[in-house]
Amino acid sequence: MQLIKKPLGNGINLYIDTTDKFKTVTVNLYVHNQLAEEATKYALIPSVLKRGSLKIKTYKDMVKYLENLYGTTMTVSVYKKGERHLQQYRLELPQEEYIKENVLEGGVKFLKELVFNPLTEGDAFHKEYVLQEKEVHKNLIDSRINDKTKYAVDRCYEEMCKGEPFAIFELGKSEDLQFIDEKNLYEYYQKCINTLPIDIYVVGNVNPDYIEEIFRKYFAFQREDILNISSPNIYKEVKEVKYVRENLEVTQGKLTLGFRTNVLPNSEEYYALLVYSGVLGGGPFSKLFMNVREKASLAYYAYSRLERFKGLMVVSCGIEIENYNKALDIILKQLKEIEEGNIKDYELDSTKKALYTSLNSMKDNATSKSDYYLSQKIAGTSLDIDEFIKEIAKVTKEDVVEVSKKIKLDTVYFMTGKKEE
Amino acid sequence: MQQIYNERINERIFFQELDNGLKVYIMLKKGYTKQFAIFATHFGSNDSKFVVPGDTEVTEVPDGVAHFLEHKMFEEEEGSIFEEFSRLGASANAYTNFTTTAYLFASTDNFYDNLKLLVKFVQNPYFTDENVEKEKGIIAQEIRMYQDDPNWRVYFNALEALYHVHPVRKDIAGTIESISQINKEILYKCYYTFYHPENMVLFAVGDIDLDKTLNVIRENMRREKKQGEIKRIYPEEPSSVYKKEVVQDMQVSLPLFNLAFKDTDVGVGGKNLLKKSLEIQISLEMAVGRSSDLYEKLYSEGLIDSTFGFDYSGEIDCGYSIIGGQSKDPFKVRDIILTSLKNREFLKSEDFERIKKKYIGKFLRTFNSVDSIAYSFINFYMKDIDLLDYLDVLYNISFEDVTNRLQNHLKEENSVISIVNPIKK
Repeated sequence: MQLIKKPLGNGINLYIDTTDKFKTVTVNLYVHNQLAEEATKYALIPSVLKRGSLKIKTYKDMVKYLENLYGTTMTVSVYKKGERHLQQYRLELPQEEYIKENVLEGGVKFLKELVFNPLTEGDAFHKEYVLQEKEVHKNLIDSRINDKTKYAVDRCYEEMCKGEPFAIFELGKSEDLQFIDEKNLYEYYQKCINTLPIDIYVVGNVNPDYIEEIFRKYFAFQREDILNISSPNIYKEVKEVKYVRENLEVTQGKLTLGFRTNVLPNSEEYYALLVYSGVLGGGPFSKLFMNVREKASLAYYAYSRLERFKGLMVVSCGIEIENYNKALDIILKQLKEIEEGNIKDYELDSTKKALYTSLNSMKDNATSKSDYYLSQKIAGTSLDIDEFIKEIAKVTKEDVVEVSKKIKLDTVYFMTGKKEE
Repeated sequence: MQQIYNERINERIFFQELDNGLKVYIMLKKGYTKQFAIFATHFGSNDSKFVVPGDTEVTEVPDGVAHFLEHKMFEEEEGSIFEEFSRLGASANAYTNFTTTAYLFASTDNFYDNLKLLVKFVQNPYFTDENVEKEKGIIAQEIRMYQDDPNWRVYFNALEALYHVHPVRKDIAGTIESISQINKEILYKCYYTFYHPENMVLFAVGDIDLDKTLNVIRENMRREKKQGEIKRIYPEEPSSVYKKEVVQDMQVSLPLFNLAFKDTDVGVGGKNLLKKSLEIQISLEMAVGRSSDLYEKLYSEGLIDSTFGFDYSGEIDCGYSIIGGQSKDPFKVRDIILTSLKNREFLKSEDFERIKKKYIGKFLRTFNSVDSIAYSFINFYMKDIDLLDYLDVLYNISFEDVTNRLQNHLKEENSVISIVNPIKK
């Protein structure tokens, strides 16, 4: 199956992946931006757009419109890949043959309306919507503390990358909100939709010509001076390991270690790094699972994960607060083991197979597929899933040991309780 | 093999009961890369008091035993089962809920070897004093993780308030105190009672061969005589709620709330339970869903935000609806919702028809992924519901059904509120 590329000629690229597996058609529209000072504004925009458009003026009516398209789902989100800030607008529409009705064009029309045709008053967004969404946005930023597991990882990265764009939280800062109003937000929105690169992925049992035709009908407007998004700096020398403690009302401690990998996302070495991270903490076969959980019974979860685009790696686990030193020692020992070449064939082999399984599984999920294509593009590579698997297959134990030498511990973050001695 | 076919969605499920009582279901998904199999027993956190077939005495076990057993099944004399699955490239997992313990794997290669492994390891318990002791540390950290999760706490606190004695009010993993009482004898006793093929089901889905799949299962199953029914003892649950309000302080930014409604019309499974569940889901959708007037009002008044949501969970012997999210004033949200549910002005047949359409699309989406098919299948199976009946049951629901259901279920006297408040400085 081939991904068909149809540039619409205005900095908007349409990609079509035809497959008859699914009972729905999934459309993902991504807007790319540089992760920078205006992050709060950028993150707020999708929430305001969702409140109402020129033709469908309220959120309630938008939802009704989609419910009438047999419960077409609309998901709007904001996240980051490296120092690229992404808005995602996603629609999933039922396939015609199961509902005896063609809802595709209605869906595309809606997407256009949602992203490019907001409800305005003069040169501004609808005032009330911006006011309300600012309040909601503040709540969402503040409530990041509710999910302790994710919070521990985010905080570790923030401490580690202080002063670098990557430290910016994907939803921005609540302090910024007071300076945002319906006018300056609309002005910024105009700039965004006119100059930011946009990629649209359509996955499903569709006729590519028909898809192109309806997208040309709704999305062929003039745009110019499309922004060129620069790649983040991934090299950084660590002079001294940073130790950070945060005291919260919790019963479990969360130990999180942040590393610089010094590996570029489009380099040959990236595949060795992926295998490295797998051997260290990529599943039940990994050194962290075996040693932190199974042998020492210190944790329920202990894993490592890469941030490909910024060249980072994080190790995280939830432990009894008093076991901080014990867990830290065991984790660092596992890194050392790999560096010294103590990798069992079983560990290497299982890691690779687990990676194949997870890559192959993406073929069965429309949004995973879109995300895979998007990541390829951002990394500056253009491998399909099978080619990616071949790159992993080539990785040897020596490659893993070699890449391990580049990985440097930068920050140790510990979320701990308030009643400490 | 028998088969169940649904024309509307063009899907088919094959079925056979083996001599030892195991029910096997297989679904073919042409073109899918991933295969998925799930082997489940009808044994969950609710089953802590029962009579072993053939016994006369009642057995009572510590809370959290089903979940503990799930953890320990992955260990065998030769080593870890995770290791075996890893060698085959599959990703294996398991879960325990109120009624079910399920073991599963997802693979994209070596499906039949993985299936064989699944069937064999679930039939092969290996518990020692030492390996049981070791697991307590790991599960304790799992319990702590949930203790620090405010969304989990607000939910279980709501169940504790709804129910006087029903075991659904207890945490699935038990407590650090209750799991400390678990030993290998208890685990073996539960194992031999509940892991009999007669009490189990196996579901496999993917681009797989029907006969080969069935043969692998058959050849690796123990031959066993049927054991007869396990008597499960649940205390008599009054229809009233236990307490109206429960509040806990935690490290959160804004109060979280769960407004919960106890379902008092329980004791049915199968199509009736499915019909009831859909009626309640549709009622909730019409009352507080994203397209309702009430959602719009609460949202624009700043009383709720995008974390707001609702759901109905229905088991055969218990059920409850939960409306929840974060809010600066949970009591006000509760009062507004209860008033609206009492007035029922939102009940309009055009909305009903639209919501029904939405549920058709929602059901279709289930069939996009082998994982979600398998999870839904097992979830429904444990309630005697046939997954493929869904659309027919949905089409047959009338506006009157929904109106009546709403009147009897979503009312003030059935409701409780659970709140997690930020810690005051």
